[in-house]
Amino acid sequence: MIDWGWLADHVPALLYRTGQHLYLAAIAIVVGMSISLVLGVVASRRRRFYPPLSLFAGLVYTIPSLALFAALVPIIGLSVLTAEIPLVLYTLVILFRNVVAGLDAVPQDVREAADAMSYAGRARLARIDLPLAVPLILAGLRVATVSTIGLVTITATLGDAFGGLGFFIFEGARRGFATEIYAGAIPTIVLALLLDRLFVVLGDRLTPWARRQRAVAAAA
Amino acid sequence: MPDTRAATVEFDRVTKRYDESSAGSGTPGAVDDLSLAVPAGKVCVLVGPSGCGKTTSLKMVNRLVEPTAGRVLVDGVDVASRDVVELRRSIGYVIQQVGLFPHQSIGENVATVPRLLGWSPSRRRERAEELLTLVGLDPAAYRDRFPSQLSGGERQRVGVARALAADPPILLMDEPFGAVDPIVRERLQNELLRLQETIAKTILFVTHDIDEAIKMGDLVAVMAIGGKLLQYGPPEEILARPASPFVAQFVGTDRGLKRLSLARVDALPLRTAITARPGDPAGPARERILGDPFPYLLLVDERDRPLGWLDQHSIPATGVLSAATAIPMSPFFDRRTTLKDALSLLLDANVQAGVLVDRGGRFRGLVTVGMVADWFRASAGRELPDALSATDESAAAAVRV
Repeated sequence: MIDWGWLADHVPALLYRTGQHLYLAAIAIVVGMSISLVLGVVASRRRRFYPPLSLFAGLVYTIPSLALFAALVPIIGLSVLTAEIPLVLYTLVILFRNVVAGLDAVPQDVREAADAMSYAGRARLARIDLPLAVPLILAGLRVATVSTIGLVTITATLGDAFGGLGFFIFEGARRGFATEIYAGAIPTIVLALLLDRLFVVLGDRLTPWARRQRAVAAAA
Repeated sequence: MPDTRAATVEFDRVTKRYDESSAGSGTPGAVDDLSLAVPAGKVCVLVGPSGCGKTTSLKMVNRLVEPTAGRVLVDGVDVASRDVVELRRSIGYVIQQVGLFPHQSIGENVATVPRLLGWSPSRRRERAEELLTLVGLDPAAYRDRFPSQLSGGERQRVGVARALAADPPILLMDEPFGAVDPIVRERLQNELLRLQETIAKTILFVTHDIDEAIKMGDLVAVMAIGGKLLQYGPPEEILARPASPFVAQFVGTDRGLKRLSLARVDALPLRTAITARPGDPAGPARERILGDPFPYLLLVDERDRPLGWLDQHSIPATGVLSAATAIPMSPFFDRRTTLKDALSLLLDANVQAGVLVDRGGRFRGLVTVGMVADWFRASAGRELPDALSATDESAAAAVRV
């Protein structure tokens, strides 16, 4: 059923594609997170920006990924941007909304106390608001990461230079070679699970103060 | 390290309108032409129903709210002319929900303003420990915990410690004990009063609870919806002479009892009794009480400690006095007993007179229901209660009704 010989011959290729997969996903997550932080902070302070931004992110998410990758090629040609623009756009719907939700979740009494102790503008954002938004931001990051790991496989449709582990899935499907499909799909799943786990651990480390709340929530 | 720095706070014709069209009347939180002066080191309680503008008034001191008209002066300086950051660091702020930073340890929370002021980490740590001790929390046990691991009462103590961290001359407290249960609230109130004896800050305290206002305030400002100040003065005066039917109703039909709870036995004139010792000749002792309007003999021991009462029937015609026939003593008071407690104990024991004793248990005088009633009548007519010391006269002068 599994062609072990093929696998043994393709270890370097598998490793290379895994690296490429992580690289494409990481760029999308980092860029998407940065854009979401900026837009989220703006939208949480100036509410009128929230509805259009949220609507935009939501609409983009409805576009089939296969179509979006293909549609960009005639417009911007074929480069790493062709893969990254859709990947980044797809992260926004989750990350942007979670940044706003996280900032909104900062209790009013905490803000007022911070203001009264002379925290102003950016200092409050950096020391109070954003740290308190971390649990919700990380929750968004988990979902966005898992979804991006899956989406990276679709970039294989752009050509051999893209796709990460998705390259094997598309190749295997084209050739009707099950081993190759598994060689792409299973490591993709493992990557998604590992990264999901990583964010859980990271969240625990970053927010020791929320541990008790989590324990209570888990028990409920 | 007790610090006696304090500052005066004065509202000078302060108005805050939230809705231009309604001209301040009736809008919740609005303040209308508020003038009042708080002397340095005093506790001023702003009390009134919700929406009366008491919280708004408080927030205009540290400029969380800016007045529409008028000035708020701290030590004579208009707060509007001061740098808002520097101003807020010099004013402690305690609110009902406490507003501790959930992501910071208790120690970090307490050291917030010192950190903003750029104190060194070791000095901050030292100060945090000092303050936790001051509010009755063991630094070793609490310093590294997070707010979510504390009870409501503990959190409120941390809130007070945090507000005091940079030793500000002024403390603003907005319903600080409103969210804890009555037993904890009572304890926190007592602790704050005790703390205030040491720190002597100028405290502006907001509450909707008239009993809390009377208990905590050196001065009480009664406010009504629309942000109008109805009466400002010492609690004794508010209770004895309410300035309007609204104030009278607000302080409650039991305001007489509340007045009694503010005054203590040492406010009463000293009234002595006829005393004798066991072993004294009975005949002459009997003679002494027969002509007295209060025909009882108080038997005391060799150190003047009361043993019991004797009336004419329990004193033998001849021989000597003996404690064996005396009616047991009840009730005992010391000079710090409130008149409310004294009255209650007298009614409860169903006796004409209670006995005032000093620290050594020695007899000092009598307390009767009639004396309490006399005090009650006399104090209602007095111009200024003697709770007003000389330094308070500026405040009394600033009272506008």
